[in-house]
Amino acid sequence: MSTRSELRQQQELIGSLQPALHVPQNWNYEVDGPLYKAYMHPPHDVGGQFDVPVQYEEKEEEQWELNTYVTCEVLGWRGIWNSEERRRRADNDLGYTLYLGIPYYGRWIWAAARMLVDKNHVSLTELLEKIAEVKSRYAAK
Amino acid sequence: MPQSKTPEKPQNTGSTRARFKVGDRVRVKDMPNLFYTRTQMYVRGIVGTIAALTYEDILPEDEAFNRDGRLEQYYIVRFRQKDLWPEYPFDNDTLQTESPERWLEPVSN
Repeated sequence: MSTRSELRQQQELIGSLQPALHVPQNWNYEVDGPLYKAYMHPPHDVGGQFDVPVQYEEKEEEQWELNTYVTCEVLGWRGIWNSEERRRRADNDLGYTLYLGIPYYGRWIWAAARMLVDKNHVSLTELLEKIAEVKSRYAAK
Repeated sequence: MPQSKTPEKPQNTGSTRARFKVGDRVRVKDMPNLFYTRTQMYVRGIVGTIAALTYEDILPEDEAFNRDGRLEQYYIVRFRQKDLWPEYPFDNDTLQTESPERWLEPVSN
C-alpha cells in the first residue's frame, strides 16, 4: 500500500465484499436454516437462479486464457490432478466472492496455483516472490 | 507431498546469519496477497526500526502449507503510530509487530 488514502480505499472495498446478502455479516452465532443452506450451496450450481441482465458477447479467448487452459490440461496429463479436482477447487473452494468476481479462466489459474501449493510442488513463498519479480519487470517497461 | 516438520525451539538471540541489527531502519515489502500471509496490510511500504531479534523459524506462508523451509530470522519492528495512521493524535506513540526477514528490506538513512 503506497499511501494511507489508498489503504483506506482498499479497506472500504474489502469491507464491501459481502456477497449475496448485502448486509454486513461477521461472526454470527446463529445462522438460520435457509441461510445456512445458502452458505453451504456449491457456487457453481447456478441453474434457475435469477441474474442481473448480461449482454451476450462473441468474445475470442485471449492468450492468457489459452495458456491457462493448456497449463491445467498438462497438469492433468502428468497426473498432478484430474478435471474433477480442478472443478472442485475452481468452482467450490474459492468461494462465492471470487467465483463471481474474477474471470472464468482466472478461476482456473487460481485453482491450479492453489493445488500446486497444497501438494507442495511449489512453495507459497516461491510463488509470491516470482509474482512480485514478474510484476516489477513489467512495471519497469 | 506434505513433509513432516520438526518444530524448532524459539531462541532468544539472533543468529549470525541475521541481516539486520537492533536500530536498523527497514521497510516492509508489499508482496502480492495470495492464499495466506501474516504480514498486515497496514504496515506494508512503511518504514520502521528493528527493536529486537526474536528467533529463527519457518516462514508462515510455507509453514501454513506444512512445508519445510529454511529457518529465517524474525524481528520485532517498531513503527511510529503517526506513520501508520496520519490522523493519530500522539507523536511519541509506537506500535510493534513481528516480521520475518523475508518481508523486510533495508532503508538507507
